Amino acid sequence: MKELIMELAACVAPAGREDVLHAVLTQHLANCADDIQTDVLGNLIARKHGQGQHVALVAHADEAGVMAMHADDEGFVRLTAIGDVRPACLPGQTVQFCNGVMAVIGAEARSKTTEVGWAQLFADIGACSQAEALARLPIGTAGVVWAPVQPLSEHRLGGRAVAQRTACAVVIEAFRALANAGRQVSAVFTAQQTVGARGARTAAYNLQPELTLVVGAAPAGDTPEGPRMALRLGAGPALKVMDGTLLTPARVLRHLADCAERCAVPVQYEVWPGGQTDAGVFQWTTGGRWVGGVSCPARMVSGSVSVVDVRDAAAAVRVLTEAVGSYA
Amino acid sequence: MLLSSEELLRQLTEAIGPSGQEDEVRNLLRSQVSGWTERCYTDVLGNLFCEQGSDKPGPRVMLDAHMDEVALMVVHAEDNGLLKFRAIGGIDPRVLVAKPVYVGAQRLPGVIGAKPVHLQTASERRKPLNIEQLYIDIGARSKEDALSHVQLGDAAVFATRFGILGDGCVKAKSLDNRAGCAVLCEILRIPAETPRIGVFTVQEEVGLRGAAVAAYRVAPDLAITLETTVCADVTDVPGHGQGTVLGGGPALTVQDGQTLANQQFLAFAVRTAERFQIPYQFRRVKGGTNNFAAIQRSRAGVIGGSVSIPVRYLHAPVQVMALQDYHNTVRLVQAMLHELAEGGWPL
Amino acid sequence: MRHRSTFMELLALPGGPGFEEAVAERIHRAFLAYTHQVETDHMGNVLAYVPGSATPVPTDLGEHLAPTVRPRVLLAAHMDEIALMVTRIESGGFLRLAQTGGFDARTLLSQEVWVHGRQTLLGVIGAQPPHLSTSEERQQTPSLDDLYVDLALPEARVRELVRPGDRVTLARTPYELLNGRISGKALDNRASVAILLECLEHLRSLRHTADVWAVATVQEEVGMRGASVVGYRLQPHIALAVDVTFAEFPGQAPDESFPLGSGPAIAFGPNVHPKVFAGLRAAATRHRVPFHIEFTQGPTGTDARVLQLTASGLATGLVGIPIRYMHCSVETAVYDDIVECGRLLAHYLADLTMADVEGLTCY
Repeated sequence: MKELIMELAACVAPAGREDVLHAVLTQHLANCADDIQTDVLGNLIARKHGQGQHVALVAHADEAGVMAMHADDEGFVRLTAIGDVRPACLPGQTVQFCNGVMAVIGAEARSKTTEVGWAQLFADIGACSQAEALARLPIGTAGVVWAPVQPLSEHRLGGRAVAQRTACAVVIEAFRALANAGRQVSAVFTAQQTVGARGARTAAYNLQPELTLVVGAAPAGDTPEGPRMALRLGAGPALKVMDGTLLTPARVLRHLADCAERCAVPVQYEVWPGGQTDAGVFQWTTGGRWVGGVSCPARMVSGSVSVVDVRDAAAAVRVLTEAVGSYA
Repeated sequence: MLLSSEELLRQLTEAIGPSGQEDEVRNLLRSQVSGWTERCYTDVLGNLFCEQGSDKPGPRVMLDAHMDEVALMVVHAEDNGLLKFRAIGGIDPRVLVAKPVYVGAQRLPGVIGAKPVHLQTASERRKPLNIEQLYIDIGARSKEDALSHVQLGDAAVFATRFGILGDGCVKAKSLDNRAGCAVLCEILRIPAETPRIGVFTVQEEVGLRGAAVAAYRVAPDLAITLETTVCADVTDVPGHGQGTVLGGGPALTVQDGQTLANQQFLAFAVRTAERFQIPYQFRRVKGGTNNFAAIQRSRAGVIGGSVSIPVRYLHAPVQVMALQDYHNTVRLVQAMLHELAEGGWPL
Repeated sequence: MRHRSTFMELLALPGGPGFEEAVAERIHRAFLAYTHQVETDHMGNVLAYVPGSATPVPTDLGEHLAPTVRPRVLLAAHMDEIALMVTRIESGGFLRLAQTGGFDARTLLSQEVWVHGRQTLLGVIGAQPPHLSTSEERQQTPSLDDLYVDLALPEARVRELVRPGDRVTLARTPYELLNGRISGKALDNRASVAILLECLEHLRSLRHTADVWAVATVQEEVGMRGASVVGYRLQPHIALAVDVTFAEFPGQAPDESFPLGSGPAIAFGPNVHPKVFAGLRAAATRHRVPFHIEFTQGPTGTDARVLQLTASGLATGLVGIPIRYMHCSVETAVYDDIVECGRLLAHYLADLTMADVEGLTCY
């Protein structure tokens, strides 16, 4: 599990450029899925035909990042956000672009640190002219903050994209177990979630599963003066009661809680009013479907680095496998 | 009668078409394209669909341009005959004061007024006037007088005349997006090589609403949105704040407020522009969006993108566009359609 | 006036977004008086089908999904109320809250609430007491983050009975003011549910061609989620949202407020089909229902917003009655407005023909 998460978190896949991650995901799913496809928006969907009602496991593949938008006469590149990235956190950081170009980020000298916006930031890629900059970094090239995932302790990992890729790893493991048991199931790695659940819409329309279980990361509130969330790292997966897009139907929540109890997995309950996830879209697209969610608590979810506990992820796999396997 | 490009732009930009009341624009467009289409019809929201080439092989292409413009709605008459109004779509209230308007389909003249500068306190003068402080004056003596000429709910639009400006530019109201409508009109007059559906959409300015239902109905293989876009290549604006440059050619989107460009479509558009030696530029700003955002996420997803004409002062009473950008946009879209028919991008 | 007491019962029931079961059950029973075809869908929307009575007439309208030749009309009124949810249990057993639906936190201070845990518990919403706050802090309004629910129970007992995710609803018995005015929580939008019932009641005495689906929708307050599902599933010719609007109060703009007791408001604007608006206005005029026109300039904050964009688009209308103090526990309305709005809808439905439906795509 730990190795899988680290492998996935090493991929650079800002929203709109999920293709890099697709190769790795496909490699892990190829021997258990009946078919694997990508769609127009960039969702990767693996399907296994088998017994039972169609259940989809969903995790988003993309991460927040930056995009090159302009190069000036001296070869400095101006950036904008892909998803929720705070420009004030970027000066002094290194950015890795999808085409391998590396950049360091600076801010205009006259801007105050607290007021740095995209208009005051620039990326230095070592170019000497506009032509050189545009040749190496065409307008529209996407990148991410370079902060590779590291093991922090025996069970905990920290770094860029680790929270989200943990959810992808959970879906892979649960899908494998279910597919090998002959269960009808889909694994959906949605695209463009961090910019507003865009991929989820078309995936939901396309698949129309009976039940969708969205796997994600929910903020842990156990950091010093942390967010007001009841979740703790390492205290078990969180069953989603609500986020900014979904009020989980009581029937689904009860099923998940029962399954966790059967697996003897202690769970927590996620109440995340500000959480923008794929869950809601799967509920209301095409006339109403059953939806629930299982999340791994993660610290600093909205920052450029986050921390997860691998034990929560392993437990989430057990709950999900039981929840899909026993869904009538 | 078939109108020339300039006359088409003049009549379209002088027509009245706020979101939800696009009738005048729709009727003008219908008269211009109905002779060239196999089937021309409207849906419940008022989108105008024009189908062509249904017997041709190749991908079904949806081309859309929104008809509506930002405008004002009269919502109340004061006892003294002044009219209270609200904005339909996003209008910067700072552009409103001291502008002439036409109220209602009958084009009743009015002016937007505010308390004279002499009577304002020093602190009032520093603040922009908001909509609550402004009224439309049609010259009415009383509430009854006003309501005998105007119905509440009537729209008011800027009374700007279309005209030629400087070197090869035009000025008008609502170039956003009558310029896009004119491009689509011109494209629809070129014989179709593949099946295509031109859609003049409603209610873009209040949330891309017409395009959302139009895309669901059409379910195209490919969609291209024809739009105008932000152009701020003016004094005091650094290069990275300009978005686009006037005269720099049609703009392609890499990322806007609601879309990330489809990589294949972007590459196809660039390849086509270069092959046909048509100037193009990237839209170098993220804010704002257009109908393609709604179309892209329709049903199981639609491939495509937008082609936009740079326009200075979007949403303001006077907007400015370079005619060469307009003509190059027609050329680029035509070239892309031709390439598709030739299998230049097998879908 | 047949449903005044039903209305009072509905106001007293708890029913936050995604937690509408008790309200849904009561509405289900009320609908049964008008049809046996009542069902509850996946999300909890309650749908009552009242078929039209006329003989089918052949038509060349081939585009619609169902092979009906009668107008198909949806009346949607959301039944959820703004509510709260437990996010965390603080030491001492105090509960922190998140909202489901938009509260003015200032109206929550000293509000009694029901906490729907393993048992239903009464609690009081509190904040840091005034004698501990500085005079500067007292100038600031508390935000929801500063508030808590006090159950007056030991922490251990609270942790046994309550967990994060439990629902919290306002405790307020409806209250009668002068001149038939009713005050309480959840008038937004149970007043419109009562309008549906009064409409069905009145419709019994009229001949109508239209097939009518009267639907109590869920989760409007968190983004019209229920209505979007209903619209997609039924894809009616006409979808009418029934939702409350603002009543007159000092300091409000004249185009955004309507006097209590002077009839429903019919909405006009881009979110409404011009012919549906005209039809509602004509029905009101013809049948002497007093009304006002509410001018809107974009998508409204009602179920009509999502209904209009369902699939290839639905012809929408929007009507409702004015209430005062929207989104708190003393929302105030007049029952006569409810009856009149129900009568307006019934006449609109009865007057509707297939020719009207065919005209909806003619621009």
